[in-house]
Amino acid sequence: MTDSHDPAARHAPAAVTGPAPRSGAEPAAPPAPAPSSVSRRRLLGTVGVSAAVAGAALGAGGAVLATGHRAEAAEPATVPFHGARQAGIATPAQDRLCFASFDVAATTDRAALAALLRTWTAAAEAMTRGAGVPGHPGDLQSPPDDTGEAAGLTPGRLTITVGYGPSLFDDRFGLKGRRPSALKPLPYLPREDLDATASDGDLCVQACSDDPQVAFHAVRNLRRLAFGVLNPRWMELGFGRTSSTSPSQATPRNLMGFKDGTRNIDTTDAALMDQHVWIGAEEPQRWIRGGSYLVSRKIRMLLEAWDRDSLGDQQQVFGRDKSSGAPLTGRAERDTPDFTAKADGTYVIAADAHIRLAAHENNKGLRILRRGYSYTDGIDPVTGDLLGGLFFIAYMKDPGQFVTLQRVLGQHDKLNEYIEHVSGGLFATPPGLAAGQDWASQLFGSRTV
Amino acid sequence: MTSPAFSRRLIAGAASVAAAGLLLTACGGSGSGTSSAAAGADGKDASAKTAEVAVTITDAGCAPTPAKVPAGPVKFNVSNKDSGKVTEVELQDSGKMLGEKENLTPGLSGDFSLTLTAGTYQVWCPGAGHARSTFTVSGSSTHSWKDDPKLVAATTGYASWIDGQVKLLVSTTQTFTDDVKAGDLAKAKLDYGRARVHYERVEPTAEIWGDLDGRIDGRVDDAATPAQFTGFHRIEQAIWQKKSLKGMTPLATRLNTDVKSLYTQVKTVEYQPAEIANGATDLVNEIQSSKITGEEERYSHIDLLDFKGNLDGANEAVNVLLPVLKAKDPSLAAEIARRYAATATALAAYAAKPGYLDSGYVDYATVTSAQRRTLSQVVDAYAESVSQVAGKVA
Repeated sequence: MTDSHDPAARHAPAAVTGPAPRSGAEPAAPPAPAPSSVSRRRLLGTVGVSAAVAGAALGAGGAVLATGHRAEAAEPATVPFHGARQAGIATPAQDRLCFASFDVAATTDRAALAALLRTWTAAAEAMTRGAGVPGHPGDLQSPPDDTGEAAGLTPGRLTITVGYGPSLFDDRFGLKGRRPSALKPLPYLPREDLDATASDGDLCVQACSDDPQVAFHAVRNLRRLAFGVLNPRWMELGFGRTSSTSPSQATPRNLMGFKDGTRNIDTTDAALMDQHVWIGAEEPQRWIRGGSYLVSRKIRMLLEAWDRDSLGDQQQVFGRDKSSGAPLTGRAERDTPDFTAKADGTYVIAADAHIRLAAHENNKGLRILRRGYSYTDGIDPVTGDLLGGLFFIAYMKDPGQFVTLQRVLGQHDKLNEYIEHVSGGLFATPPGLAAGQDWASQLFGSRTV
Repeated sequence: MTSPAFSRRLIAGAASVAAAGLLLTACGGSGSGTSSAAAGADGKDASAKTAEVAVTITDAGCAPTPAKVPAGPVKFNVSNKDSGKVTEVELQDSGKMLGEKENLTPGLSGDFSLTLTAGTYQVWCPGAGHARSTFTVSGSSTHSWKDDPKLVAATTGYASWIDGQVKLLVSTTQTFTDDVKAGDLAKAKLDYGRARVHYERVEPTAEIWGDLDGRIDGRVDDAATPAQFTGFHRIEQAIWQKKSLKGMTPLATRLNTDVKSLYTQVKTVEYQPAEIANGATDLVNEIQSSKITGEEERYSHIDLLDFKGNLDGANEAVNVLLPVLKAKDPSLAAEIARRYAATATALAAYAAKPGYLDSGYVDYATVTSAQRRTLSQVVDAYAESVSQVAGKVA
């Protein structure tokens, strides 16, 4: 990655803009106006968010800054739990993630799993509206039902999204006949080296909130309710969203310093969502229609090596200007990349640039909804290098969409020199629940499980 | 000696606002999707009025206001007004600590809650000019567990079981310390576990006397100075790590004395039902925090025998309460029985005859991390259920 005579370098205005400003040096935007019911902690959180948005948008022009800022200010503190779709998919991406995967314990039967899913439904509904895990207070001799760390915090648009892995639909719980058609273990994909203990699982919970403690609290309490029924398999915390899922959100940056979510699906575009994300009438299993498939991948970034790469080469890897986020063929972040543009007989956006290989124009229109977060697991105990990168989450109507894209990216993406897929998961996320419905009756198809 | 509360860890566990019942009420609910704060169907009287007592720390002292309350639940609201030298308040019963709030630097406040029977107690704030104030509890609790013959039987049954275990601890420790004094390393190795298992069964009771527990069962990292590292684990280190009993005679003598003194003390203890239940939770938590990790028996690796001891102790505590629990919450009683069985079965997979060091189990060092995690999962589930018992029998 050291092509210093790279023709695209002249298109990359590195010398003009310099490296992306460090966040500490960025001017903070004024705090967003907040509803009067919002707590001080929420206000502080909002200030931080606005500053980050402003920083991220500085190079991209005032329009994006203003749009992003307005969106932050308008966001209510809660997202409805009930509805046709599960919240947490089309919901504008919150700032923080806590994601956990569980296996059903060997001693759990169908009735016990169903009972837990009913309990989870009630608890998730309560937590997303800002209440604690239901119970009755005042008993000094018993452990509190809620662990307490989210008391007094606003929910920060908390969403709790559940999904079911392929392994759940074996013969343990009589679910063989209800397996969503495309819910099968993913094939081996190029260059992946997945840690089985940190991959897959019978069930998953994605909790997203603008407050990290609220997201953690949600998973912690669902896990606590599941003692003896489910065993936690793995868990990941995401500390910064890496995609915008609505044009009203400014695109944040990944840990490589780039805007990598600009061309994501706009979740407010119902036709696009139906086309690419929601499972529709093509699926014989009616119960999962209106749901989606969730593919997770923990993608470690080799951050030390990346940080030693020249700006020109970094921009070639992505096909974007690091500072503005604009494609190398454009001037503003949301300009459509021109994959045909050449300079001196060479593509301006290189043949192996990430955005070229991932673009729907070059994949027969294939798109997925990305909803990933930056993560860190601290320091590599062997090398002392940073363990961190992208906890990739994507929703799609068929996991084949991811497989097709990843086969291309895994083989050809210039980015591969700096990343490793270290774990992964596939889950079917069911549609939303109507008031009075619960996850058990939805999954088992009966109220008498 | 009456023991209104049981050990410092139990009290810390009780010092928070509590709620109960989702797991049961939501599971049995109508599936309405919304779960309001419905009271549990256990008939428990959660409304016993809590007396609130303010304790303000100053350099001068920490007199409680009011200084007299009726028997029942009491919440101590402690605040440090401006004292840089006093940062802690304890409630004591004749020198035994029942509850405390520590690390209150100037401006900080906190609370702890206890259920107190009638008697005279002391509010103690070490370092203050007037460090000890009298606190009086009058009358009797309106609903005393002593009105329930089944609970009275549970407490006396538990007390005699504990006495019996500590008596066995005394005799097995005598044998072990004799081996040590005789310099018989091989025999000491086998007799170590035979004594340890009895201690592990009664650990929460032994912890009432913090100094004694520390001297008998403290680990190297519990000791402030090397000289304070004494007791079973000091000798364990000598046997398995240093492979020599040289210099151990005084430590053996002291261990023997301490264990005998524990026996004398234990015979005076009366147990409350909630204490017995909380002791069971403590024992299962002990398995999770120091046996599964291999930390307790880090030199000898007889952790599975300790695991069995803790599990026996918890099971005994639950069993004496079972007649009451079955009446008040049969589904919790059934869940605990299932989870105990799952834990016992998981442990039994490592049983061996005669086993490593005659312990009845394999060397814990041979148990892989994946196997330890499986053990941990069943223990965690059991602990979670057992933690619900105190609220049902109190």
